[in-house]
Amino acid sequence: MIALRVGLAALLLMLAVTIQTSVLSNIAVAGVTCDLVLIVVIALALSRGPEWGAISGFVGGLLLDVVPPADHTAGRWALALAIAGYVAGLIRRETSAGPVGPLGVALTVVFGSGLSLLIYSATGALLHDPSVEWSQFGVRIGIAAGYDVVGAIVVIPLVMWLMSRFTAARERRRVTP
Amino acid sequence: MLKDLGTPARGLVRAAGVPREVRRRRTILVLIILACFTLIVLDARRSAGSPVEPLRTGAAAVFGPLESTASSARQPVDNLRDRFAETDRLKADNEKLQAENDRLKQELNTTDYARNRAGELDGLLRIAPKFTMTPARVIGVGALQSFNHTVTIDAGSADGVRADMTVVNGSGLVGRVVRTTQSTSTVLLIGDRNSTVGGRLNSTLALGFVSGRGELAGTLDYKLVDLKAKPRVGDRIVTWGSSGNAPYVPGVPIGVVTSVSATAGALGTTATIKPYVDPTRIDTVGVVTGPPARAPRTQLKPSTTAGSAR
Repeated sequence: MIALRVGLAALLLMLAVTIQTSVLSNIAVAGVTCDLVLIVVIALALSRGPEWGAISGFVGGLLLDVVPPADHTAGRWALALAIAGYVAGLIRRETSAGPVGPLGVALTVVFGSGLSLLIYSATGALLHDPSVEWSQFGVRIGIAAGYDVVGAIVVIPLVMWLMSRFTAARERRRVTP
Repeated sequence: MLKDLGTPARGLVRAAGVPREVRRRRTILVLIILACFTLIVLDARRSAGSPVEPLRTGAAAVFGPLESTASSARQPVDNLRDRFAETDRLKADNEKLQAENDRLKQELNTTDYARNRAGELDGLLRIAPKFTMTPARVIGVGALQSFNHTVTIDAGSADGVRADMTVVNGSGLVGRVVRTTQSTSTVLLIGDRNSTVGGRLNSTLALGFVSGRGELAGTLDYKLVDLKAKPRVGDRIVTWGSSGNAPYVPGVPIGVVTSVSATAGALGTTATIKPYVDPTRIDTVGVVTGPPARAPRTQLKPSTTAGSAR
């Protein structure tokens, strides 16, 4: 069951990367696309906890780093999404025992997109990447966060439902004997 | 955190106990952060040949076809976008008209250039370079969150595309190829802040450098080599070409000067250039894969360019 879940997560991440790079870039708002990968990572973190958030964030970010047309130093999105995923998992743990409400999810997504963009830009600044512009940073973070919430409304319930199907079966089996 | 009831994986936690579980997830986080920094350090030294390069090649091999397939879903998405706002519908109309205009414009730009070259160099009618091109479609666009202005195209080394080749479309210069795989290549657009192109003013043939600003509209900065020379608003700029035609071939229209101002903190002037190519609407592009069929100066064919430019 674990293998199945890992496979499902990997499939979701690959799908997210493909759609984000080739389809969503056509409906970009002022050039900023919806961070589908980030949303999937947050959904995984919310349903499975911080470890899953960190690992799936690393994998998803690494894909974003190496899949064309990426041309920046590899590891930057990986770091940003791993930390965002971990923090999203922590939020899930600390808030409540019940399922996270829609408002909580939206705030987590806003926070995650801001945090990941900040880490990504900060590593770029450390590496003296000339393409990082702090003057446009605020605008882009705003657009990205808003767009991500819109995407999250569709994607997060879907991913969490998928994950919970597999989880439920596993726990049912654990409880019955 | 009293009893960790909120843990999503309840079974796991009960088995492992709180402190060990917390320790474990912290270890995982630290390991991942270390892995990221290792990757960044390894990949930052591009000149020495990055060990991440095989990973990129592999990823492109897997995701190239996926992106190709996914971008065929672009038609409905495009339609959706056009339906969103009326301006977009007008834009589509405008685009049709522009496409008709593009050919005429490019002919105008190159004739201008050719005429100047002819007078300046050897009094011969310069033949605008006709290069061998490989057509390609854009299948992936870099998001501005990454501050990258790059696109993926669906032609790769199997089609004869190599790094440092010029990419153009119907309206002008798009960028250059920075990386290729078997079936896809990554193109750095001229609007990227990492991009610098040698540009020549059509009116005076003065040399200068065009660099990207990293803006959405692809606005460019133009600095002349000669500090005393001044570009004028409305001047057109074409590439002056690199040795061996890589990475840029000569004579490709880049853009038109929209404003001129003194360079901040330095001598000389900086011109703002509006590129002919709208970076948000690149679809079919051509990669210049070969030199002109003949060297431009060896033969004089007044009928080809001069005739067709009318």
